[in-house]
Amino acid sequence: MHTWLVAICDRLQNIRLVVWLVTAQYAYPFIQWTHFTGLSLWLGTTLALDFRLLGAGKRFQTAAELSDALFSWNWLGLGIAVLGGFTLFATAAVGYIDNPAFRLKLGVLSPLALAWHIFVQRKSRIWGRTPETPAVAKLAGLMEIVLWVSVATAAVWIPNY
Amino acid sequence: MLRLCEWLEQIPWIVTITNSAVLISLVWLVHYIGFFLLVGSTAVVDLRVLGAAARNQKLAPLAGLLFPFAWTGLGLVIASGFVMFAGQATTFYPTAVFQIKMGMVLLALLFGVIVQRKLPVWDRAPSVPAAAKWLAFVSLVLWIGTILAGLEVPAFIPGI
Repeated sequence: MHTWLVAICDRLQNIRLVVWLVTAQYAYPFIQWTHFTGLSLWLGTTLALDFRLLGAGKRFQTAAELSDALFSWNWLGLGIAVLGGFTLFATAAVGYIDNPAFRLKLGVLSPLALAWHIFVQRKSRIWGRTPETPAVAKLAGLMEIVLWVSVATAAVWIPNY
Repeated sequence: MLRLCEWLEQIPWIVTITNSAVLISLVWLVHYIGFFLLVGSTAVVDLRVLGAAARNQKLAPLAGLLFPFAWTGLGLVIASGFVMFAGQATTFYPTAVFQIKMGMVLLALLFGVIVQRKLPVWDRAPSVPAAAKWLAFVSLVLWIGTILAGLEVPAFIPGI
């Protein structure tokens, strides 16, 4: 399994476009830019809903209304972040798959946080009908904040390996 | 100014943080989360002014919820950014790309404040004025540009 993965990563890393992105002097930050711009949209909108579930900005709108308002840009943000993230991965794929922080981020924390996000987003339509959210909604929002902060923590730790 | 930068670099707690992999990673983490909040919230408000997002919401309530997150994000970004800058102040300060980035941040903030102050007026108008859309568009471009400028800083300063 591992040899097979390494072979795929090696091929990915040697795609001509990927090689160019790594060697062109100022190109790499553009890929990071795609990742971070997507993440700003994704996490900005995700955390806004989580904090609303926790009780922030009650007088402005219900969590259900907010979730509905942010829905498309939330997922568009994730799409951009994944596109940038995949390209970042491709530039040094072989190194990444053996990096413990990367494995923790992509293999455990991100899927967990994403699944939790889908759950919270769906439930916010019910939890968020009234300005005051139930205790379970607050707990769910807090959990999601903790999960995404863990994902980000694992991500900043990647270069230390 | 360079003497101030030298002094900053030698502050004991700045030295401790800069030389510790764990502490400096935490500072980076705060910086990232701060700008996710700042840029994400501001971008949604700008996109709403442009008519591209959250059309089921009036401007004022959407901004009322999102701007406090933007300001909180700004606080986190400034606090962590100061530590990141202070640790290598003499390297950052004379670098053109760093100065461009800081200039863009100040401009983006200026536009952000204008948008925030004008929102209640725009909200009362039957439709969002064209000038408002231009302001929001410039604000959006500046914030996204700031992210790129920030990422280009290490590319122009080898060894950071």
